[in-house]
Amino acid sequence: MTAQQPLVATRDLGVHFRLSRNTVLKAVDRVSFDVLPGETFGIIGESGSGKTTLGRALVCLEAPSAGQVLHQGRDPYALSRRQLRQHRRNYQVVFQDPNAALDPRMTILRSVREPLDVAATMPRAQRDEVAMQAMERVGLSPDFAARYPHELSGGQKQRVCIARVLTLRPSVIVCDEAVAALDVSIQADILNLLADLQREFGLTYIFITHNLGVVGHISDRVAVMYLGRLVEMGETEAVLARPLHPYTDALLSAEPVALPSHMRTSQRVILSGELPSPVSPPSGCRFRTRCRFAQDLCAAKEPEWSEVEPGHWAACHFAGTLPVTSSPVHGVAEVVA
Amino acid sequence: MSAALQPVRAVRRPSASRRFLSWLRSDLRAAVSLAYLLVLFSLSVFADVLAPHSPIAQSMDMLAPPDAAHWLGTDDLGRDVFSRLIHGAPMTLYASFLAVGVGTLIGLPVGIMAGYLGGWVDGLTGRIIDALLSFPSIVLAIAVTGALGIGLTNSMIAVGIVFSPGLARLIRVQTIVVKNDLYVDAARTFGMSPLRIVWRHILPNAIQPFIVQVTLLLATALLAEASLSFLGLGVQPPQPSWGQMLARSYGYMEISPEQMYAPGLAILFTALAFNALGESLRAVLDPTRRRSD
Amino acid sequence: MNRRQLLLIGSRLLQVVPVVILATVAIFGLLQLVPGDPAAVIAGEYATAERIADIRRMLGLDRPVWEQYVVWLGHAVQGDLSASLITGQPVLDEVLRRLPNTLLITVLALVLAVLIGVPLGILAATRVDRPTDRIVTTIASLGVAVPNFWLGMILVGFFALGLGWFPTTGAASLTQDPLRALSHAALPALALATGGIAEITRQLRSALIEVLSSQYVRTLHAKGLSNARILWQHGLKNVSLTLLTVVGLVFNRALGATVAIEAVFAIPGTGSLVVASATNKDFPVVQGVVFVLVLIVIGLNLMIDLLYSLLDPRVNRR
Repeated sequence: MTAQQPLVATRDLGVHFRLSRNTVLKAVDRVSFDVLPGETFGIIGESGSGKTTLGRALVCLEAPSAGQVLHQGRDPYALSRRQLRQHRRNYQVVFQDPNAALDPRMTILRSVREPLDVAATMPRAQRDEVAMQAMERVGLSPDFAARYPHELSGGQKQRVCIARVLTLRPSVIVCDEAVAALDVSIQADILNLLADLQREFGLTYIFITHNLGVVGHISDRVAVMYLGRLVEMGETEAVLARPLHPYTDALLSAEPVALPSHMRTSQRVILSGELPSPVSPPSGCRFRTRCRFAQDLCAAKEPEWSEVEPGHWAACHFAGTLPVTSSPVHGVAEVVA
Repeated sequence: MSAALQPVRAVRRPSASRRFLSWLRSDLRAAVSLAYLLVLFSLSVFADVLAPHSPIAQSMDMLAPPDAAHWLGTDDLGRDVFSRLIHGAPMTLYASFLAVGVGTLIGLPVGIMAGYLGGWVDGLTGRIIDALLSFPSIVLAIAVTGALGIGLTNSMIAVGIVFSPGLARLIRVQTIVVKNDLYVDAARTFGMSPLRIVWRHILPNAIQPFIVQVTLLLATALLAEASLSFLGLGVQPPQPSWGQMLARSYGYMEISPEQMYAPGLAILFTALAFNALGESLRAVLDPTRRRSD
Repeated sequence: MNRRQLLLIGSRLLQVVPVVILATVAIFGLLQLVPGDPAAVIAGEYATAERIADIRRMLGLDRPVWEQYVVWLGHAVQGDLSASLITGQPVLDEVLRRLPNTLLITVLALVLAVLIGVPLGILAATRVDRPTDRIVTTIASLGVAVPNFWLGMILVGFFALGLGWFPTTGAASLTQDPLRALSHAALPALALATGGIAEITRQLRSALIEVLSSQYVRTLHAKGLSNARILWQHGLKNVSLTLLTVVGLVFNRALGATVAIEAVFAIPGTGSLVVASATNKDFPVVQGVVFVLVLIVIGLNLMIDLLYSLLDPRVNRR
């Protein structure tokens, strides 16, 4: 780790939902990581892994039930309500569904201008101008200003959402599956736009996705999430080329999308079984019910979150010793040539 | 830059007045109702000019049948029934809008607050609403009128109080639906205050069923006013009101039965018009329910 | 009845308690709405200072509000709803004496509403958008908009004064002279039933249309079952729950609407009692009538709720 102050960090973060009197869903459970200024940090997980909840917690849309979210080393919940409203403008989010993220009764200009209206630090004419500039920057012509969301395509709406957070000049943008709902042909456009904006404004991204292709394309470091926990974290190259956790390995081999050829695995490991219920996760290692290397130890004891190689963390009893990515058949999982 | 623009092919939203006209064209019943209510409204404003006689001037010509001078005859005090009917219109409209206004003024903020805040506030409000909804409405209105003091304004405030729990419940449900929308979360990340979120996002997106309900309640309020004035708790003599005219005409029904038709029909038509407008609004504002009522 | 059902009944009964308590708070609070000094208002314009002081003491207005409430509630629980300020008679006796007359016409109206509304609703739903349906829905929207006391007046004019089939006004005891009681109750009940008929017709129609257009009914059609049979076996079972809810609503409204009907037919019921006492500022009587009617409505809602959860297994699981 460098001596740099992390821009966003979590310390044993937990976000729990009480579903009924005796069931608690730990959507995020004891998660710790640091995001450094200027980097793109990827968070990968299946649906149901808690990655969206984690993303919402990072921008204070969900309050931690345990542990902390830290913004530049400070706990935003220690601020007064008024201070928090001011502070959080620096930590923005682009949601998966751009359609739901725009108020259907507001014109595009009004939506884009909204963050500026809240601050009310500039006169109205100037707010309009800044909003129009932001729209132009994301590739929306001024014609769109007077339109309503239902008149726009998904990709256009996502550009509107991006323009809207840009008006705040935030340091951090959490992109929660920001391209998943879009046509494949549009996805690349939006990703390129985000990359351009990062260069131009020195943005820090936290990129939440289920899509390894996207992560490989854009992230400096990645964390892999399974049933509310992190199972692996490290430099993107290292994690994709030499995964330490069998779950990462399984995800990688299931991924048909073009990774750089040296990262591609020759064999495909297919995940067997369903994702267990996050309400009552398996004992010991949560992945053991679907792991082809599972042993008695995995059911008895929870694996520790440890730095196996410098900067490369994993939570597996056998991290670094398992013959992942190129191994012959072991245990239950199928291997397809 | 790779972010190439897609060609703009979306159609422009038609202007408000055009949408209004196409709504009226598509629903004849609503158009007729609106026209009727506009006429009624003009009658109310210009009652003094339009009514051929004073509504309270008595004469010796009592219980006269309809003729050229008195189109609907005269009542037991020799007053012109047609003029009283016209002067009853402003009373009716005032009463309906007052009751619905009071109901909205109480129900809307309470319901939005309960729905938005949730938790124990919502729990307590829900219980109070349940309790108030188990009162037979007219009886409660009469009791409240008795407490506030008899008269049109008080009785309609009472009716409005009786309306408020139902309205609060309606907007509460809508608020809960809307407050979980993503654009509300987005507004929170911009640092928008809860009050402003309610005003800017929740109210505009949650209000439609409320508007429909309020329109339908205008008819209910009108009927309540008629009942209360009929019972002598609403409009006080000599001021004319349709309900009170019915009460009077009932007294001499065996002599001139035709006098109870005009005020009754006036009440019926106005209630029908409010209801038709409400139903039509429901169909326009909420296309998913077009078939069901 | 199994253990789970008993538990369910128990929990529903418990849920009623706060509703009843809040209702009593509201009823008691009525007196707080009186502007100025309630005692002076009740005593009237020309009352002596002594009379005002008397009333204040009688109603306990000289004590703090919460204490007044506790005392009032304590008496109410024991069946003591205080006495009329005008006649001095116990309120509960007066209310109970008049209640049968009111219940007779409201229950009769409810029966009429179901007997007429259900067939009309079925008729309309099975002939959607055809002339029969149009006629029925038009009648229903008239039924919602018509002032029922006016309809009562017209019924009196036609059937009582004109044809002489029914007595014009008054009431008779159902236990002493059932036939006369029913002939007295017929016209008021019919006038009172219109709103209910309309409501039941509309709700049943829309509920049935939803059921009949659902996927599984279409499957039954494909299997060759006739419309009538599908309706009988599947439709009505499904809408019986809707009907149950509407019946509660209709009864509640009838209990309110009966006030004007009782005035038209000069029936000595609770409605005419509440009007007279509200006019005379006889607040103990007003509160007593409202209290008894609210208890009846809450009791009925509880019964409907229980029936609902016993009929519909899905509700049980909550």
